Amino acid sequence: MRAVAIAGIGGIRFGKYGDRSLRVLGEEACIKAIRDAGMKPRDIQAAYVGNLAQWEWGQGLLIGHSVLREIGITKIPITRVENGCATGSNAFHEAWYRVATGACDIALAFGVEQMTVASSEKILNVFTGRQHAERDGDMGNSAPGLFALMARRHMEEFGTTRNQMAMVAVKNRKYGARNPEAQLTRSVTVEEVLKDRMICDPLTLPQCCPRGDGAAAAVLVAAKIARKYSSVPISVAASVQVSGTYPDDRSYTCFDTDVRAAEAAYKMAGLGPGDIDLAEVHDCFSVAEIVHYEDLGFCRKGDGGRFVEEGHSGIGGKIPVNTSGGLLSKGHVIGATGISQIIELVRQLRGQAGGRQVEGARVALQHNGGGFIHTDTASCFIHILRK
Amino acid sequence: MKTRRFIEDGWFHDFGHGLALTGGRCPACGRIYFPTKQVCPACFATDQEKIPLSHKGILHTFACSHMGPSGLPTPYPIGFIELPEGIKLFSLLTRCDPWDRVLKVGMEMEMVIETIRTDEDGNEIVGYKFRPSGEIPS
Ligand SMILES: [Zn+2]
Repeated sequence: MRAVAIAGIGGIRFGKYGDRSLRVLGEEACIKAIRDAGMKPRDIQAAYVGNLAQWEWGQGLLIGHSVLREIGITKIPITRVENGCATGSNAFHEAWYRVATGACDIALAFGVEQMTVASSEKILNVFTGRQHAERDGDMGNSAPGLFALMARRHMEEFGTTRNQMAMVAVKNRKYGARNPEAQLTRSVTVEEVLKDRMICDPLTLPQCCPRGDGAAAAVLVAAKIARKYSSVPISVAASVQVSGTYPDDRSYTCFDTDVRAAEAAYKMAGLGPGDIDLAEVHDCFSVAEIVHYEDLGFCRKGDGGRFVEEGHSGIGGKIPVNTSGGLLSKGHVIGATGISQIIELVRQLRGQAGGRQVEGARVALQHNGGGFIHTDTASCFIHILRK
Repeated sequence: MKTRRFIEDGWFHDFGHGLALTGGRCPACGRIYFPTKQVCPACFATDQEKIPLSHKGILHTFACSHMGPSGLPTPYPIGFIELPEGIKLFSLLTRCDPWDRVLKVGMEMEMVIETIRTDEDGNEIVGYKFRPSGEIPS
């Protein structure tokens, strides 16, 4: 594998864009990323698009081709990927792999999704049916259910509190208020979080990420030509993908996929958790971020609640986490989420993060978990970026 | 006319002591699965033997959902149940009112076969639930 760098990024603020087409959202992000890299569309040699549920909520087939032909990218290989909530990260990983193997020098990765055009019921019903053997969705489990169950077991085993979980939402909404691209821009207090509407006890509404529409794109290049396109190219020091093992015999307080992906990513980058200056992790629910601290090695198993309470995951702490505001502020725009996390880290490493800048940041970790089947995440991606 | 049907044909079988959940035991390595599988994911052997799973298990964790799929009234308590066979089942929890006082991680739970929810036509979908063990079923 050869060294790969990020030469351009481009995203649009996540929000409600039901009046615009999926295609136009994708175009806008790709145009921004290609401009940011100082390229022309014809420079792109391969493209991967992340889009989760195009047929489920009425989006068209061949979304990658539809978007790219409008901006002058034709002929090259264009591939759509799907990997649950990590769909965008999967597109980025494939683009990285294509450049890292030497198959091409310049690849585009983008993700696009319209979540607000579908009803909650329709989205929930995607999790029902006979695809998964145990039929948990048909019996009433859901994404909030899975994480509420994890929260309860974590509280029981490690003494994690409702307050500590609320603090994740408070921290992320605080940073979201400083991010012009976040969907929710109002900060909240612990008391407000705990008093809000219950979604799945112990998780209240502000502890569950909102949905959204949007797009995010990145241009990856072989490191040897990166300076031609960017004055501050950001190296991809690690790009790792793993899948779940679905254990029945493990305590439901751990993302085994995180542990394995992190181990591989640290090894690939030649770094450890102590070298990470900041991270964007998959905070679909407040408790998830707490468990990710532990499984990514930011703190010991069981200490995640205290890690946030003591400020270690805030700006100025040991490892600032989700300075973008995270999914809890930006919203989860499935196909675009992973690349949106990468955009935040590139901005931070370039020193362009404004009022939420982590001073002197040189190494950053991106983590994106993809979907749940029964007792385990189906996929997990970790990228380590270096200035 | 409204009908009642099992969530999956083949999940429940009477092995001689009333309906039980049907597990599959691998003839080669002895691992037990629910639901039964075409091959053993651990050793790829075929011809799993159908066996009754325990009616009783331990409550690994629980929660209470205020949202859910159509045909399932909210709020409703949910949990993961650990069976002695080494299987973790997701389950609706029943007869545990008030759930936040009654339910405890580590308590013994017992299976009941009941309507889980209704489908879009109002037909009842029947499956398993777990209730705190030792009470008289109502
Ligand atoms: Zn076997």
